[in-house]
Amino acid sequence: MEINAAKRKIPSLIDGYGETSGKLFEGAFARVPSGYRAGPKMRAAEPNGGSKVIGGIKEAVMASGLKSGMTISFHHHLRNGDFVVNEVIKTCAELGIGDLTIFPTALFDVHKTIIPYIRSGVVTKIMGSVNGAIGRLVSGGELGTPVVLRSHGGRPRAVVSGDVHIDAAFIAAPTADRGGNISGRTGKSACGSMGYAFTDAEYADVVVAVTDNLRSFPISPVSIPGIYVDLVAVTDSIGDPAGIVSGATRVTRDPLRLLIAKYASKLIEASPYFMDGISFQTGAGGIPLAVTAFMKEAMRRRNITGSFGLGGITGYFVDLMREGLVRKLMDVQSFDLEAVNSISSDSNHIEISADWYANPWNCGVAVNMLDVVILGATEVDTDFNANVNTEADGTLLHGIGGHQDTAAGAKLTIIAQPLLRGRIPCVVERVHTVTTPGEVIDALVTEFGVTINPRRKDLFDAAADFAISKQIPLVPMEELAARARAMSGEMEPIHMTDRVVAVVEWRDGTVIDVVRQVEK
Amino acid sequence: MEANAIKTAQAGTLESMDCLVVVSESDAGRAIEISGGAAVRFKASMEKEINDTLDALGAVEPIRISVQDNGALGVVLGARVEAAYRRYARLAP
Repeated sequence: MEINAAKRKIPSLIDGYGETSGKLFEGAFARVPSGYRAGPKMRAAEPNGGSKVIGGIKEAVMASGLKSGMTISFHHHLRNGDFVVNEVIKTCAELGIGDLTIFPTALFDVHKTIIPYIRSGVVTKIMGSVNGAIGRLVSGGELGTPVVLRSHGGRPRAVVSGDVHIDAAFIAAPTADRGGNISGRTGKSACGSMGYAFTDAEYADVVVAVTDNLRSFPISPVSIPGIYVDLVAVTDSIGDPAGIVSGATRVTRDPLRLLIAKYASKLIEASPYFMDGISFQTGAGGIPLAVTAFMKEAMRRRNITGSFGLGGITGYFVDLMREGLVRKLMDVQSFDLEAVNSISSDSNHIEISADWYANPWNCGVAVNMLDVVILGATEVDTDFNANVNTEADGTLLHGIGGHQDTAAGAKLTIIAQPLLRGRIPCVVERVHTVTTPGEVIDALVTEFGVTINPRRKDLFDAAADFAISKQIPLVPMEELAARARAMSGEMEPIHMTDRVVAVVEWRDGTVIDVVRQVEK
Repeated sequence: MEANAIKTAQAGTLESMDCLVVVSESDAGRAIEISGGAAVRFKASMEKEINDTLDALGAVEPIRISVQDNGALGVVLGARVEAAYRRYARLAP
């Protein structure tokens, strides 16, 4: 057992993951790349410009050369409407291919149909976010090897650096042509940005585009060019549109959450970053969207314009751009129909890969250009460490997303969260799982006010005027923790076994924490 | 009321940060059942809050207390238990 820089106990050897010596978290920016990028197998297209269309998923799996024990990857832009993961795994099972490592960007409830294939050994390892039913399965210890959780930037870093080699990538393609060019902009299963799939296409030995909208060659605009794509499989439907794009995302109307959003926006306004050209990421949650609404008002009042909005893009951000309050959108995942339509028609709405978005080991990662990010967390502790992976009962229910990457990249990282969720406090002595270390989190905003990380003395100075005029109540962390404890009472400990069910990697590939199995 | 109808009373709601408390007759002693997400981390303190509230009300008869919790704080749980018990105690035997 070793202790890493986030003060977490990490076993020296984790069954199904490997040795952790030399791989322990050392600090948010301690590890730097060395050596050269990894690469996929070289291959050449047919000389006579033949078609890559091979038939359906079954024919594609057979033609891909996929064998038992290999690693296959998927992307999650079809979210809870995706059919491709389920179909590919089912096909592998029918063809007698097993012992697979799957490397999805994320799995959702819709993927619970692969649970029987996990139990029967078709899938023996998962590297990727597990939400819902599969998260519960993993928490209960039903997967033989630990799940490896990586952030949106940590995942492409792992591929590019050679930590993970993809044998075959299956890319759900809302539109494709016989040359293997792929776009997410059009088709009945349109999902907008294809951001998470780019690195898989570039680094897999075999790339299969699975489409339900085969158009004549060449399509335009192209997201992923056919130079990376070996085969095109055509099916009736790659997903359910109702699960792919969400309905309109709404700003919260809950007065408590609006108060939190107001304090957060005041902190941004007080910060040195609130000036012409400000960039920000707020995601799709209720509180962050409300922060954007308050910021919009402040931007108009102080006559400033933002440079770009980053990350998962919603219609709310599209409106901000149309109203001239931000100049550009950098989109790794289009959450709703309005975002899909915007990326298809507006050249100021830029499609970016997960590598470009968040990989710490490239020369132009977008998160490093970010001024402000508003994030959530299930728990924050008195050292400002944040947990976004495990719930109050210790079960693994959420992926990392871009949490680590944006927190590390942004100049001002704010976690905005009510102090209690039901009776469960969000501020604790020690988080159950460290996802993002306190060294990259600058402030926590609750209904009681703003709690600034003591590391950011400059922010105290910046907020001083707003604090004096009572627009921002400043609450020390110890006071906040005591308040949470007084309201909720002492929590009973979670009983865990020694078995590791998930490894949480920091974005640089080191182990920041492990999730242990909950005792039944 | 029919002669052998089970005597029950309830208080509370299933709204967030509230709980639904049902008090009914029991064969022997005081039985407490708690369900809901917070129970994994607060079971002992919830049982104590329920017992303290009932003891303060002088509840000595055998009753079953069933709590469907949706994140109620201790004071809310106590108030709901008190209301449910007072309603129960008013019912004809």
